Amino acid sequence: MPLTLEYTFEAHKTACWAVAVHPQLQLIATVSGDKTCKIFDLESKQLLATLGDGTHSKTTRCASFKPSVDFPTVAVGSFDGTVSIWGRDLTVDEEEDEEAGSHDASSTTGESDWELLAVIEGHENEVKSVDWSHDGRYLATCSRDKSAWIWETDDTNEEFECINVIQEHDQDVKHVTWHPRENLLATCSYDETCRVFRQDPYDEDDWMCVAKLDDAEGTVWSSAFEKFSEEGIVRLVTCSDDTKVRVYRKQKGAKKSNNGDIPPVPSSLKDEEEWVLEAVLPQVHDRPIYSVDWSDDGMIVSGGCDGRIGVYREVDGKWQVVATQERAHGVYEINCVKWWDGKVLSAGDDGKVKLWQLTE
Amino acid sequence: MTEPLNANPTVLDVSELPRRDDISRDFSKRNLEKSEEQLIYSKLRTLSLLSTDYEDDDEMTTDIEELSLPELSDASDSGDRPIEADSDGSRTEPIDAQEIYDLIAPISDPEHPLTLGQLAVVNLGDIKITNPTEKGQIGEVLIRITPTITHCSLATLIGLGIRVRLERCLPKRFRIVILLRKGTHQSENQVNKQLNDKERVSAACENPQLLRVISHMLSTCQ
Repeated sequence: MPLTLEYTFEAHKTACWAVAVHPQLQLIATVSGDKTCKIFDLESKQLLATLGDGTHSKTTRCASFKPSVDFPTVAVGSFDGTVSIWGRDLTVDEEEDEEAGSHDASSTTGESDWELLAVIEGHENEVKSVDWSHDGRYLATCSRDKSAWIWETDDTNEEFECINVIQEHDQDVKHVTWHPRENLLATCSYDETCRVFRQDPYDEDDWMCVAKLDDAEGTVWSSAFEKFSEEGIVRLVTCSDDTKVRVYRKQKGAKKSNNGDIPPVPSSLKDEEEWVLEAVLPQVHDRPIYSVDWSDDGMIVSGGCDGRIGVYREVDGKWQVVATQERAHGVYEINCVKWWDGKVLSAGDDGKVKLWQLTE
Repeated sequence: MTEPLNANPTVLDVSELPRRDDISRDFSKRNLEKSEEQLIYSKLRTLSLLSTDYEDDDEMTTDIEELSLPELSDASDSGDRPIEADSDGSRTEPIDAQEIYDLIAPISDPEHPLTLGQLAVVNLGDIKITNPTEKGQIGEVLIRITPTITHCSLATLIGLGIRVRLERCLPKRFRIVILLRKGTHQSENQVNKQLNDKERVSAACENPQLLRVISHMLSTCQ
């Protein structure tokens, strides 16, 4: 089954490092070696705003939308070590739109109504990934400085307080991602592990490492949680330099039993849960895989250095490849893949973001 | 200045460095002069007589490139200009190890007033090319470098210089893999991992101090 190209966003003139999808609104944010973040409307395909001209002194590496409809907000992380927070005031738009007689709020908005709300500093060097928690209360950031930080914010998105610094990784933290409904954070690292942290039910500011997933033989580049799963079960997919996509499962029952089969875990794992490697997906890639995402309806997409996109579906407990797209960005590498409304978005070193349909 | 890490490296004389045989060198010289032969050869090329059909024949391919790619000769005249005029990889003229060698051998060592070729940090035999077999496909350039001493702290910098040089010159269809030759460095795996981490390399290239050092290393490339 092939993927059909629906649209190409000519987003940037230099490499596009990531694309972020708004969880409710039809917006994407793209970041690039050109140091900006661009906001596009997925319906009208229009460029709504170019953020951060001059804000960041180096490549913008990552972006994440806050899950909130009333005040669209995006966090942008950069190799300059900072994270900028941008917001758009919808109430102003609506007034302006009424005056203009337009019914489409997004297509008439200019750049001016996205404003810089905050610049977060703290990391020693390159910020590699940012992600908002499911309720928008926390923002996670990570860096080559080997740490991941959890920031608490309020509705104004102007104040960010660092409530926890995760220092369990031995090397660069490449990626952070939150669970879609729980305060559960997965971190991927150059140290070839992926770790899972859960908020302490007795101390909101404390985050416990509950799993260390160390099957990869190379940098773990990114991960994604399953969107909907059976009560009590959590699954996470990771992708890594060793060209593998792995699915992990947290078994029912939070605490680990005294099962002798389970190898001893480091002391940093204060409150372990039982996480097992459930599956290694069928081989699609022959070079490092940089990005992976899990769709609302249970499909997984992967993309990476070989320029290939892989789509997988689970049938009777077995993962199958349902689609591959060779050279999705020509001879260029793919840096990021995301699901949106049953379609795949890919961002490439050619500066483009492509929207793909799955066709039967 | 502190003492160089390796004060007395083995140095190859420039005349010992590998190069194309004299006949092809002669041809490429004529190319440079934009002689009539060049015109004839480029006309031949437009007749598709010398197209990718000969890809399997190494010697033939080499000669064809020398004859039919005036861009190549131009690029060597002007430093970082790409090997091919287009960078989207739509053309598939194969490249060979000698071309890669010619691009990276003139890079200066960061601590000796010598080139990587003269110090035998880069060697023709340690360059492996996988040319794409079809238009639009991805190829690979694999280079194994030999640090002058096993604890050379500059190995990463040398590797980075080679990568920057190649990324600027090679068509995008080539993935560049740079490894230390087995057993030549005590931190082999660490250096290899760093040199081939896209994100780290990209961030390093935005570090002004590092870029200055690399520009200096590359300044001896014509």
